[in-house]
Amino acid sequence: MTDPRALDPVLPEQERAAFRFNDAALSHDARYDAFVEHVQGGGKVESTDWMPDEYRQSVLRFVEMHANSELMGVLPERDWILRAPTLRRKLALTAKIQDEVGHAQLLYRVAEDLGKPREAMIEDLLAGKTKFHNVFHYPTRTWADVGVIAWLVDAAAIVAQQALRDSSYAPYARTMRKICWEESVHIMHGRDVVVTLATGTPGQRAMLQEALTRWWPPLMQMHGPRSPREKDRDLFWRIKAKTSEELRQEFLSIYVPRVWELGLTLPDPRLGLDPATGEWRYTEPDWDELRTVVTGHGPASQERLGFRRLNWAEQAWVRDGVLGSPPLAA
Amino acid sequence: MTPALEPYEVFRQEKEGDPMRHGGSVMAPDPALALDYARELFGRRQESVRLWIVRRADIAVLEDPDLLQPPLDRSFKKPGGYVMRDKLAAARERAATEQAGE
Amino acid sequence: MTAAELLPATRAAVELLLLAMADDELVIGWSDSEWTGIAPLLEEDVAMSSLAQDELGHARALYELLAGLVDDDRDADAIAYDRPPEGHFHARLLDHPTGDWAATIARRYLYETADAVRLEALARSAWRPLAELVAKIRREERYHLLHVSTWLQRLASAEGEPRRRLLAALEDLGPDAASVLAPLPNELALEMAGVVDAPSATLDGRWRAAIGPTLERLRLPMPGPLVEALSARSDHSDAFRSLWSEVTSVRSSDPAATW
Repeated sequence: MTDPRALDPVLPEQERAAFRFNDAALSHDARYDAFVEHVQGGGKVESTDWMPDEYRQSVLRFVEMHANSELMGVLPERDWILRAPTLRRKLALTAKIQDEVGHAQLLYRVAEDLGKPREAMIEDLLAGKTKFHNVFHYPTRTWADVGVIAWLVDAAAIVAQQALRDSSYAPYARTMRKICWEESVHIMHGRDVVVTLATGTPGQRAMLQEALTRWWPPLMQMHGPRSPREKDRDLFWRIKAKTSEELRQEFLSIYVPRVWELGLTLPDPRLGLDPATGEWRYTEPDWDELRTVVTGHGPASQERLGFRRLNWAEQAWVRDGVLGSPPLAA
Repeated sequence: MTPALEPYEVFRQEKEGDPMRHGGSVMAPDPALALDYARELFGRRQESVRLWIVRRADIAVLEDPDLLQPPLDRSFKKPGGYVMRDKLAAARERAATEQAGE
Repeated sequence: MTAAELLPATRAAVELLLLAMADDELVIGWSDSEWTGIAPLLEEDVAMSSLAQDELGHARALYELLAGLVDDDRDADAIAYDRPPEGHFHARLLDHPTGDWAATIARRYLYETADAVRLEALARSAWRPLAELVAKIRREERYHLLHVSTWLQRLASAEGEPRRRLLAALEDLGPDAASVLAPLPNELALEMAGVVDAPSATLDGRWRAAIGPTLERLRLPMPGPLVEALSARSDHSDAFRSLWSEVTSVRSSDPAATW
């Protein structure tokens, strides 16, 4: 007997598919056009939907780099878990780094569903074939780095991540909601560390100012150089919603006043709000440095990748011998 | 012999992009009929754009309060765990004093 | 029984008991937190971080109880951090370096099972503040036992390298496993006052009875009897000393500062 579910649907093809791009009977071009219209009109895409190859590759590249950044972002702060100076700071720092690992897990899962296995993504990262954010290519030097990273690096990241809650790729957008919620606690932990140092001994204040001065240039580079809206394919597909300059302006407008009110200085004499335009002026960041750093030539790039490679190799026996083995006959 | 009915949990998506949320459950003899019944119970008013069904027997459950609501302090994981008002006020005051002194 | 009602001899013994328990939790928490960010699987990484945080949380709660008893203006942080390494009172089992994943699982299994017996013996403690805290800690330790038992079974049942590494770890740690339940100085006072329900020799027997069936089923060796009982919680290793200097480095850089 014929399975009745295999019978032809009654509704004409254009009206039948909830989204026309899912209709396998249409030509590729027609599906492509329908897909573009859908995402540009604010529509959402699920992992099970049909999508053009370019969209799949773009989302994968975007999410994979985000996941890589969470994973590599663990290392600078991890050096301070043991050295955290009180039990509460240690708990907060461990919990924060735990969240970053959790974010890497959530994001690699999103990326895996787009067709690239997690193992392949980690191996590409370790081989230097894929990238991670510039700020995680720098070393940490003092306890103040812990505060500056948790407060300002996470703040710069959250500005970008909040905008991604509207991404056209729905599994990514939903993941961003959870991530943003957790990041908001990290920012409070970081600001708490910073404010404590700012009200502390002269030595603590000097340590804080030194860290802030050192981290400011990478922070200004973090969102990337200005690029014309119409040329940005990630904006075209609505994978992201804001340009790098929009994100940087948002970051500056919220956080520069909060830094200044603590009596701290930022190493940019031009930095200030232009009353005429309502925009923040700043000295042009060193984009050559950004390019050098993210291609694996930052001050700590190779040390961090080397550390990860070593761990990956040392733990191969757990992955292969225990996790990859068939289920136990209890 | 009639096949045994068994419960299927139904998850529904109200509009595209939303998370799948638990809607309820249906009794059915197999997954095909469970989908039909899910449609009837959770889709007949056009209130869903997507439905998932999962055999209840395939769901592993964790609801142990010792594991999910452990009793000791976890305030360092929550926004309410960071009260900075007094410290911030002290820092602002100090910054203002230093500026006035310059 | 409140703190004020403890006889001086009992109070001194309770202080040592709290210090031993808190230091055990602190040091295993330090050690496990070294996995944060580099565990063999992202999911497992998150789990191991939670375990480390739980242990540190227990240490903090126990130090707070101790601080109330000692009452010399030191808080939990001061007790945890501001002692020389030789002033630490954790069991020798926890003196070993973190090691590989098999060593971590072996140490966690030996420690958690012994700790569970110790906590059970305190569950009906006549000293109420301790009984109340132990009730909370035991709720959290249930997950620890579930997690570590699953891993012990996985490693033991995977033939080849995982089992070989686990056996090597058990051989290395085994001689020190019984140090967790080693007799405490003046523990008689604890028993007489009803703070603990049995002497440590009884607890050691309970612990062996509890782990025996699992070890037998998985064909793993039972740890030997305690050796060098007097130094079970002293004479710390170089591995611990280097861990300690790392842990205290920021705090000791400016002892007058608030962090």
